[in-house]
Amino acid sequence: MKKLNIYYKPLVLSAILFLTFGCKKTLDVNVDPNNPQIEKASPEVLFPSGVMSTAGRVGGDLAILGGIWSQFWTQSFASNQFKTIDTYNLTRTDFNGPYDELFAGALNDYYLALKISKSKSDWRYNLMCTVMRAYTYQVLVDLYDKVPYTEAFQGAANLQPKFDDGYAIYEGLLKELNDALAKDFTSIPLTADQSKGDFIFGGDMSLWVKFANTLKLKMYLRMVNAKPAEAQAGITKLYQDGADFLVTDAGIAKFEGTPNNSNPFYEYNVRRLNISTNLRASKTLSSWLVENGDPRRNDYYATLSPIPMNQGDFAASAQEQPTYANSTVIAQSASDPVWFISAAESYFMQTEALERYFGGAGAQAMYENGVQAAFAQTGRDASAFLAPGGAYAYNTSGTFEQKLEQIIVQKWASLFGSHALEGFFEQQRTGYPRTSTVYSTSANYIPGQWVYSRNGVTGQGNFPKRLVWPASSRERNSNTPPEVPITAKVWWGK
Amino acid sequence: MLKNVNFFFISKLHLGRLVYYYSPKFNLFMKKLLLSLFMFFIVAASAMAQDRIITGTVTGKEDGVPIPGVSVRVSGRIGGTQTSSDGKFSIKVPADAKSLNFSSIGYVMQNVPIGSGNVINVSLASDSKTLGEVVVTALGINKAKKTIGYAETTVRSDEVNKSAPVSMLGGLQGKVAGVTISNSSGSPGGSTKIILRGYTSITGSNQPLYVIDGVPLDNSSLGSDENYDFGNNANDINPNSIETLSILKGSAATALYGSRGSNGVIVITTKKGASGKLVVDFSHATTITQVASVFKPQSIFGQGWDGTFIPSENGNWGPKYDGVLRPWGAIVDNSQLLKPYSFIKNNVRSALDNGYELNSNISLSGGTDKSTFYFSYGNVFSDGYLPTDADSYKRNNVTLKGSTKYGNFGIDASINYVGKTQKFVMQGQAPSGIGSSFYEDILQIPADIPIKDLRDYKNKFFNVDNYFTPYAENPYYSIYENGSRYKSDRIYGNVNMTLKANDWLSFQFQQGMDVDNSGDRQWHNKNAPSPGSYNDGGNVEGQARAKDVGNVVEESIKTFEWDSKFNAIFKKTFSDFDLDGLVGVTYNDRGSRFLTTAVEDLAIPGFYNLANSANKPTSTETERHRRLFGAYAQATLGYKNYLFLTLTARNDWTSTLASGKNSYFYPAASLAYVVSDAMDLKSTPISFFKLRASYGETGSDTDPYRIFDVLNATNVPLGFGNIRFPVAGVAGYSVSNTINNPNLKPERVKEYEFGGDIRFLNDRIALDLTYYNKDRNDQILPVPIDPSTGYQFQILNFGKVRVRGIEAALTLKPIQTKDFNWNLTYTYTKERNKVLELPGGLEKVIINNAYEANLVAIKGQPLGVFEAPGPEYSPDGKIVVDATGFPIVAAANKSYGNIQRDFVMGLSNTFSYKNFSLGFTFDWRKGGVFYSGTADLLNFVGADEKTTYNDRRPFIVPNSVQKITDANGNFIRYQENTTAISESKIDDYYYPTTNKALVYNNRILDKSFLKLREVTLSYSLPKSIVGKIMAERAVVSVFGRNLVTWLPNSNKTIDPEVSNQGSDLAGEFGEFRTAPPVRFFGASLRVTF
Repeated sequence: MKKLNIYYKPLVLSAILFLTFGCKKTLDVNVDPNNPQIEKASPEVLFPSGVMSTAGRVGGDLAILGGIWSQFWTQSFASNQFKTIDTYNLTRTDFNGPYDELFAGALNDYYLALKISKSKSDWRYNLMCTVMRAYTYQVLVDLYDKVPYTEAFQGAANLQPKFDDGYAIYEGLLKELNDALAKDFTSIPLTADQSKGDFIFGGDMSLWVKFANTLKLKMYLRMVNAKPAEAQAGITKLYQDGADFLVTDAGIAKFEGTPNNSNPFYEYNVRRLNISTNLRASKTLSSWLVENGDPRRNDYYATLSPIPMNQGDFAASAQEQPTYANSTVIAQSASDPVWFISAAESYFMQTEALERYFGGAGAQAMYENGVQAAFAQTGRDASAFLAPGGAYAYNTSGTFEQKLEQIIVQKWASLFGSHALEGFFEQQRTGYPRTSTVYSTSANYIPGQWVYSRNGVTGQGNFPKRLVWPASSRERNSNTPPEVPITAKVWWGK
Repeated sequence: MLKNVNFFFISKLHLGRLVYYYSPKFNLFMKKLLLSLFMFFIVAASAMAQDRIITGTVTGKEDGVPIPGVSVRVSGRIGGTQTSSDGKFSIKVPADAKSLNFSSIGYVMQNVPIGSGNVINVSLASDSKTLGEVVVTALGINKAKKTIGYAETTVRSDEVNKSAPVSMLGGLQGKVAGVTISNSSGSPGGSTKIILRGYTSITGSNQPLYVIDGVPLDNSSLGSDENYDFGNNANDINPNSIETLSILKGSAATALYGSRGSNGVIVITTKKGASGKLVVDFSHATTITQVASVFKPQSIFGQGWDGTFIPSENGNWGPKYDGVLRPWGAIVDNSQLLKPYSFIKNNVRSALDNGYELNSNISLSGGTDKSTFYFSYGNVFSDGYLPTDADSYKRNNVTLKGSTKYGNFGIDASINYVGKTQKFVMQGQAPSGIGSSFYEDILQIPADIPIKDLRDYKNKFFNVDNYFTPYAENPYYSIYENGSRYKSDRIYGNVNMTLKANDWLSFQFQQGMDVDNSGDRQWHNKNAPSPGSYNDGGNVEGQARAKDVGNVVEESIKTFEWDSKFNAIFKKTFSDFDLDGLVGVTYNDRGSRFLTTAVEDLAIPGFYNLANSANKPTSTETERHRRLFGAYAQATLGYKNYLFLTLTARNDWTSTLASGKNSYFYPAASLAYVVSDAMDLKSTPISFFKLRASYGETGSDTDPYRIFDVLNATNVPLGFGNIRFPVAGVAGYSVSNTINNPNLKPERVKEYEFGGDIRFLNDRIALDLTYYNKDRNDQILPVPIDPSTGYQFQILNFGKVRVRGIEAALTLKPIQTKDFNWNLTYTYTKERNKVLELPGGLEKVIINNAYEANLVAIKGQPLGVFEAPGPEYSPDGKIVVDATGFPIVAAANKSYGNIQRDFVMGLSNTFSYKNFSLGFTFDWRKGGVFYSGTADLLNFVGADEKTTYNDRRPFIVPNSVQKITDANGNFIRYQENTTAISESKIDDYYYPTTNKALVYNNRILDKSFLKLREVTLSYSLPKSIVGKIMAERAVVSVFGRNLVTWLPNSNKTIDPEVSNQGSDLAGEFGEFRTAPPVRFFGASLRVTF
């Protein structure tokens, strides 16, 4: 046995040498050659990613949902894709995609970009990222009421972030916006390359300030039911400080229209589904446009005489609704823009603020700007409609509620396309457009009033007001609050 | 002196390796390797014989059939030769030699004295007691079977090739306990799925490791996905070149293989040349292939929707069949086709063709007593059951092997080339807007429309403009205009050197390689219904079919694996004790590189090139590389030849775990106790009795690149589709959605097993029984986390999954006479697995899903539970419906069963009478459920028999109530439901977007089946006939595989064996519109010259 030991010495020795010197370096091949290390991140690559992520979801599947619930369009009788939306039959497993992508995609990219910008005192990206973060967060709060905020984005350090109240998140976002606006982001302009990566304003920081101010205005207006005093104080301060609001559209109009580089609503609903005729003109909006002789029906539905389907009436048989076979498919294009806040929306919000808090001074002009900007989105002119006696002439003599109804209905009609989700939110906030007591097949139906979906599962008149927390939160985070029905209003709801 | 020599040898080896692993001049190395191999063959062939030569034939005592591969050596000497495939040998014997020693697996060893003659013919008795049975264990070490303390199954070449399968495990279904072999593809060259002892890894690999002649073999499924199945790489092995196949299931058996052996190992030993005259083996099989089973649609209701006949519909929701002649399809040139409105029997089956498979092999082997060579060429040409060669498989296998000896030094080498070309017709879900999928299209043809007529896809009634429905496309268009082609060139082989230092110690060095250069192309043609045509809205429904823009995807795949090992092997006897074992080190270096480029929207239809589009091609590249060092030792101590203790230890160092945490050690021990040798059982009916017990651990590392956090090129996923950077000339990188983990530790499998092998009545009855318990701990997997953390997954060690099971094999020989023999083998396997731990806060991990059916791991339940939406129930168990009469979906998903089988049984039976042999095998797998995407589509189009419930008249959901609430939504009471599902909503009742709560009952199906796997009838031609063609031996066979399938009544949809969800646990999810399986009828001829 002794002999054996001696015999193996060289072997053992060489093995040890081999493993100590050969091993360590040889095994050092685990740096991913396919993906850069996270230390190589910069706002220049993160920010455009986040913006496209926000646009892809808010202007994509959430716009589809928003447009069905805002009754711009409805599920086709001859396909299936969006029936669960049009029947208000959404459960925790249905809408995980936007929640997952907005948190883990958009917001996490802004989060890291903000961290880097702050460490480098780059207040330009700091402002841009803060505004986009606030915009994205606000959409989530408005959809889900409560989401993680103070404990979010900590990665492995906190796998189960607690949920914060929507109002507290709003306050936090407003403070973030104020802090970012208070920095010096103008003395060093963005380089040409950096400006190219700003898909929204091409690096014009003054427009980012306007976007920030308009977003603040929007958030304050959301609070008018739940926090009227705070809303008024916030808006008053904005005006006192002489805040500039958007007069141009804030969003992305740069889609090339090629595969994987198109308007997300189009890419999803037209290019990537086997049926590109899933969404048909809803009687609700189309009848209102027709009644008012509004030329935008030709832009939304590509015909002056749309053949609509009644909202959610996809199960009707050919005998019951023979016209459905020829019902109008909505008009979409691969290069349609995604607006985060449109000029029209900005004007309409200002109109409302002027009416609410400043006695209506300048409101009419602002309203008319809004309608003009809304028409301009489709290249049309609204002058005839705004002229005295015109269908959309401002109701100067009306009560505040009458004026609000007019403002919000006009806003609603302007949100067709990738901006549709806002129409749903604003109805939850203001109650406009009104809800109809009869279905749109009735002779008594008033065009433009929202009808309860024909196959709604929540019970007649119980409109959806939110989304339920998705399975991706419920199954992975024990802090997810108990499920609240889809018909319960969010904190700011009317 | 020897000591120094060895030291030097190792150092040099070591340096040599360093040079070569760090050398970028990979090609130079290849050239050198090839050159040296070439030189070696020349040397091997020219080695000259000396001394006296003895030749002879070794045959079986029982049947007189020549036995190939018998090891022949001069007693007391090392080296020797092997019998060739005709049982012949030729050996050089020195003058002083006394006797020759003949040994072979499964035969009693014999020593035959050398007389004065030069011819020695020997007949070996088959070894009823298995005492001398030698099996191949880890690292290709041959061991007497009786010394091993774990379950092991050896399958010999003739069993592998009985029914001439083109994949090496295709003929073993139902024959080995504890081994699940599934043909998951209905297309030639598709995947074969092998799982040993069930699933324990939740998202990692459950695949066994394949080792061919000591070298690990890449078994990835390159280029395959849900749409294309280009087969798994283990299917490249030519089954005809296999000598034996040894299946090692447990950890104690596989611990020596290290990280990759944790799911079991399949050790393949290939044929080699034997000294003697040149032997030529030829075999050919011609096989007809057919679709084995297709869905059985309901035969009551025909084309239409909502109870109305609508000629442009893809559904079977029309009125009842009445047999009346009706026009159908489009009106073209003022004419329309006419056919009776009646159910067409065998509509799908008659639309498919007979395919065929030609499998030819030739091998030449021979050698001198010092050197041998073996050459083989195999050719497979297979065309599947779809028309044209759009589903076809061509494979060429070339093998060249040689060995030679110089004194104590021996060297052998083999090099194998596999060239294959496979064409596959896309299955699964079609890429919308780009092209359609054959199987989705065929499912959407109402059962009164003759599918086979549509083959004339350019006919004016069946073309793009006028195909009868705008909701689907002519399936034959897919076959003729779309397609895929996979081409691969693969070289694998090894060089093996042995040096016998003295009578108890030898050294072995082996260098193996496996390099594959492959690529595939997938294409869809462009088409659009002409403006105003039937399919552009000219149909009664005004529906327009979206255009197909077409695409081209070009993928280049390179994989490599280099494996080196150095072993010191020892064997010594001390009085009552035998000690044998080895100490070794190994180094493995492997990786892959994928480059995929795709472009969609063709400019010129029918021309498939990346340049043929106005769009820019998008490209992705993925490179993976990993290395591993291992050091190991194993020793078996035998006492008095009846008690054997084997101890194994191995330590690995891997590149895929963080430095400092990448070294891991694992031990194994096994004990074999041959009771029938230890005590005298002669007075009992027991002829052999062995007990075994073992415990083993294996550690395993993880995939590369899971340690450091990264950014990903931004690709925003939409509900469908993506926004992919660059956008507007700007690049985007986004924080990866997965948090990597520098603290990962290796996964660890701990397994113990007990078993026994008992035989009675001179081995007429034999029972082999094994019980095992295997725990996989610290699984490394991407655990889903709340997206508000900023991420969706974190790579974690977590979880514990246990699998326990019993494996039994009973062999009976009820009749054994000179002319007639009856053998029967029955195997039984039962596995029970359970998820024991999930990390805190996590209720479940989703393994795979489709729509809302999830295959999940839930703590305390078997691995792989199906969860999907289900109805809400009132407290007294009634289904709660909403205002429309449809069930309300419960907030939490419902369980629909799991993937686990109740049991798996196999029965193989062989009768042999004189030169005839008749065998058949049944394979019965009972229990478990699977998701069927075919069922989903069949329910949608109303073809599923289950959609004829209540004769499709309006009905109230049985046993249902409505919930009455006040204006604020507060619950008041339940009341009996009186709202019926109206006729126009009956179709909605069977589709998830409208009746999520109930539809999954029709989609998650029982996956039990019973199959007649194999029937073979073979006849060995008598010598008198064989001699006339100068042959030694000839066997003709007729055979069938996968002949009959019995499915439970609840599944009239699809054979649950097929899947397009991959060859691992995720594949247990089921299928999503997959090609139906194949059956084979063939005849073969094997001749040995």
